[in-house]
Amino acid sequence: MEIAEKLEETAREFEDRVRPQVEEAKKRLGAINEDVTDYIKANPGKCLLGALALGYIVGRIARR
Amino acid sequence: MASESNSRAGDDQGSAKGGRTTSALKRQIARIEDDAEDAWSRTRDVFSDVTDTLDIKGRLNRNPYGTLAAVVGIGYVLGGGFFTPLTARLVRLGLKVGVRLAILPLLNDEAANLVSGMVGAEGSSGSESKSRKGRQNNSNEGKVP
Repeated sequence: MEIAEKLEETAREFEDRVRPQVEEAKKRLGAINEDVTDYIKANPGKCLLGALALGYIVGRIARR
Repeated sequence: MASESNSRAGDDQGSAKGGRTTSALKRQIARIEDDAEDAWSRTRDVFSDVTDTLDIKGRLNRNPYGTLAAVVGIGYVLGGGFFTPLTARLVRLGLKVGVRLAILPLLNDEAANLVSGMVGAEGSSGSESKSRKGRQNNSNEGKVP
């Protein structure tokens, strides 16, 4: 029982320590995602041409 | 004198000819310009029709990453990467992941059914044994010496 309690306590501590970092990472990823989607919406032609070029280059490399 | 008049007439004829050729050239250039303008406007119309039909901007607004991935795929095919070992590998990986994702919920359901069935069987057997014990007790009560 003592071991189980200790394990539970360490798990809880770990969760308390990690949770803020995870939340921060989530926030940052959300912000990056928003920035990227905004950029794509603001410059559709550039992004589409870039994607087409990227695919073309990858296809050329794969063909070799 | 006669030779002078002859040369003048020749000059006049030459200038007239030159004027005609320049006017013809101008007309041709104007026609080419018109043709080019027509072709440009038609190309623009076709392009706008295609963009309207595909609704690229709307798609990009609704699902930017998916649209970009589709365009990357189109570029990949145009680059000649379709019939390559890389494509085969990617398809195999996609199939594996897809099959796993499709099978996982089924397995989960089956496992849940199994567990619930086992628990139900245990519960019913437990209640049966209890009722059997109860019946035995009752019959024993009747056989009190």
